Amino acid sequence: MTRAALVSRLQRIVGPAYVLTRPEDVVVYEQDAFLVARALPDIVVLPGSTAEVAGVLRLVHEAGVPLVARGAGTGLNGGSIPIAGGVMLVLTRMNRIVELDPRNRLAVVEPGAINVDVTAAAAQHGLFYAPDPGSQTVSTIGGNVGNNAGGPHCLSYGVTGNHVLAMEVVLASGDVTWVGSRSADLPGYDLCGVVVGSEGTLGVVTAIVVRLLRKSEAVRTLLAAFETIDDASHTVSEVIAAGIVPAAMEMMDGVVMAAVEAAIHAGYPQDAGAALLIEVEGHPESLPRQMKRIEEICRAHAPRMLRTAASEQERLLLWKGRKEGAGALGRLAPSYYLHDGVVPRAKLPDVMRKVVDVGKAYGLSIGNLFHAGDGNLHPIILFNPREPGIMDKVVRAGEEILRACVEAGGTITGEHGVGIEKREYMRWMFSDADLMAMQRVKRSFDPDGIMNPGKLLPVGERPDVTVRPAMAAGMWT
Amino acid sequence: MDRASLFGELRVIVGDQYVLVEKEDVIVYEQDGSIMQVLPEVVVLPGSTEQVAGVVRAARRANVPIVPRGSGTGLAGGAVPAEGGVVISLARMNRILELDLRDRIAVVEPGVINQDVTKAVAAGGFFFAPDPSSQAACSIGGNIANNSGGPHTLAYGVTTNHVLGVEVVLDDGRVVWLGGRAPDPPGYDLCGAFVGSEGTVGIVTKAVLRLMRSRESVRTLLAIFDRMDAATQTVVDITGAGIVPAALEMMDRLTIEAVETGAPVGYPRDADAVLLVELEGVRESTERGARVVQEICTRRGARGVRVAQDDAERLRLWKGRKGAFGALGALAPNYYVQDGVVPRSRLPEIMRQIADISARYHLRIANVFHAGDGNLHPNILFDIRIPGELDKVIAAGEDILRACVAAGGSITGEHGIGLEKKAYIGLLFSDADLDAMAKVRKVFDPDGRFNPAKMFPTPITCAEMRRAPAKIPAGLWI
Repeated sequence: MTRAALVSRLQRIVGPAYVLTRPEDVVVYEQDAFLVARALPDIVVLPGSTAEVAGVLRLVHEAGVPLVARGAGTGLNGGSIPIAGGVMLVLTRMNRIVELDPRNRLAVVEPGAINVDVTAAAAQHGLFYAPDPGSQTVSTIGGNVGNNAGGPHCLSYGVTGNHVLAMEVVLASGDVTWVGSRSADLPGYDLCGVVVGSEGTLGVVTAIVVRLLRKSEAVRTLLAAFETIDDASHTVSEVIAAGIVPAAMEMMDGVVMAAVEAAIHAGYPQDAGAALLIEVEGHPESLPRQMKRIEEICRAHAPRMLRTAASEQERLLLWKGRKEGAGALGRLAPSYYLHDGVVPRAKLPDVMRKVVDVGKAYGLSIGNLFHAGDGNLHPIILFNPREPGIMDKVVRAGEEILRACVEAGGTITGEHGVGIEKREYMRWMFSDADLMAMQRVKRSFDPDGIMNPGKLLPVGERPDVTVRPAMAAGMWT
Repeated sequence: MDRASLFGELRVIVGDQYVLVEKEDVIVYEQDGSIMQVLPEVVVLPGSTEQVAGVVRAARRANVPIVPRGSGTGLAGGAVPAEGGVVISLARMNRILELDLRDRIAVVEPGVINQDVTKAVAAGGFFFAPDPSSQAACSIGGNIANNSGGPHTLAYGVTTNHVLGVEVVLDDGRVVWLGGRAPDPPGYDLCGAFVGSEGTVGIVTKAVLRLMRSRESVRTLLAIFDRMDAATQTVVDITGAGIVPAALEMMDRLTIEAVETGAPVGYPRDADAVLLVELEGVRESTERGARVVQEICTRRGARGVRVAQDDAERLRLWKGRKGAFGALGALAPNYYVQDGVVPRSRLPEIMRQIADISARYHLRIANVFHAGDGNLHPNILFDIRIPGELDKVIAAGEDILRACVAAGGSITGEHGIGLEKKAYIGLLFSDADLDAMAKVRKVFDPDGRFNPAKMFPTPITCAEMRRAPAKIPAGLWI
């Protein structure tokens, strides 16, 4: 099929206004939040319904060109970069909350619905949608599903996979199927679980049934600042070991804290080594004693400061520093590489020391702003992209940190996903036989390998299903 | 390969004493906790992953089916060798390989008994959450195959929420790890797809289990109702108030009668329903939760609410619930336990429908179930010796399942599909949905060797099965 024929048939399916081909139109889709890579899509399509998505997939299948689904483009692993070219399917027009069922505590949404809009819609019933990635004011539920997104409150509530009950999925063939159901834990293979986190490599999600939770009656938030990262890390391990599961337990190191305080004035100490933001939720009566226990544990590690938010306003200010922390890093360096690794909580002090060592060895400044309670690290490597040869150093330092996570019994990603960024690192975690099992599942859903090729699973000498395996030259800017 | 050489190969792999072929030896493996039975040709008891892989390769060379089996407590016929072949009993692989309380995981072999995991970590202040009623006998491997639940599933989730990784032997004898020791690893969640696959994908030989910290405080309440409707409304109100009890169990009038006849615990015989509510957590929150639950029960017209004052009283309140299935024997010679799910908000109406079905078929139905998560267990009481009775029982069971699906629920909450419900899976899934599952199965088990004739309506349906005496002996439904 010629490109012109493909374009005109796409226009017939979704309407001419929703097929973009001019360079100035498609250029905004060349990148996501994986700031170090980009590739131009050939054609961008913005469907408005499941039927249109199915039509596009049937056509793309017939034409044999790759298809990349995209939400809000806030992904951090390059998962929505069309490295093999082809058609990009942008789902932002399908952004309706189709149904809100407070009695059964669920909502049915389209993939383009913004994460925070689901909670906003549910709030009138005292309910909320739990996964709260840092990007929640922009990122879409479809993208959250693709990457099995997490967030600060995943410590007590779990990641996206724990909150998706069912999905309508359009397969590579254009067939429309449902996985999961409105009632939890259906018999049969848990294909809903398989599709969550599959990063667009199995199908395109066109409707999602999400679980809504009841808001806790009371919440308490504590900021604890320490002289060293080590003190903060040990505090995290001991809080968890004491049988307390806070709703969130976030860590920020001195590098990040200084930048945040300069930008936001949340009242963080400017010269401390690390701070913990600890939040507990539950019945009002149950909180004072938990907070007391947490404070006791903090005090055993010589805190510089312990501050409990006295009002909702103060609580939001403490959180503002955390939520906008990554943005404040622009004060420190022109660019940064945000990493994502996981370690067992008991290994947190060891691995944090390793992160510091790696920074020293490579002469790179590394900030840390992360979900300490579930051992999900986010080392942020600060750099100036104009410095010659710097990218190579940044990538190698990141690799060393991830290797340390895997060696400690952790994983290469907690919530950002694999995408193009980490697909080769999958070999550190999985044997050839394990990866072949995944490849076989991929092939059963997408026999021709047109769904988001080159993502998630390693390419190279071992069997794979990708269309164009190599990354384009100049992608690492 | 003929049978004699297959048996010979199996003996070389696992040792002579672990290959059973004599009728008196294999007869104990002909049945599980369901009402179906088929005599296995050969039962093998491997002692290691390598031996399991060897047995799988031998069965593949001989081109015979493989049926894995744990303790045989399954309720859906999943461990019954419907198409013959090799039954692999994992009961010898019952070691707890590793306990890591700092990272809160246990690595166990599939034959480990559910309750033994909790026993091994209780002193350290931990427990393994899934607690099926059979927990004193059932194995972790069987729990994984059926994605088992239990009374405390309401707060803690089912087996899949507590399995981080599994080592699996695939159809060609290869050994893979799905998932691992860390939660939510990247890649496709094949560990999740494996849990609940009822032995149709591969054989689990090791499992990494999540351990939970014991709660510091437990409160147990028993509420007595004169009307079933008030009890079901109370369930809806409790969860609607934002309280998630650790357990929220219901027993109806017939079950109360059975308990009080069989093993009396002091439930009022003239009550229409009792609710058992258990709250766990921080002391302050369980105390307040208990007060709110009491208020809701009273508002809905409970005749009385008893709050256990100590552990001994707590165990007494639970005794009736735990002994309820056994006590049903006091009412009828046989019972068929159904397993369906409805959204909680539909509980009142589904209980009315079950009462209607009971009246329509002239069959007594006793309900004892996990009300908090809408997981019904209607027990149809009958006497197998009455001609035609069993057909009525099966028809009534099917009507109940259809009502569950119509209410937006499911045909099984925790017992699985097995042989029992494969004819009904079409009520829940479209052809396209089932096709997607069939594709996944084919990826792992292209020859359909693992536990054939289970879970899916093809290649033979339940009705055809009952007409096929060559494979399923007469008297299958006993």
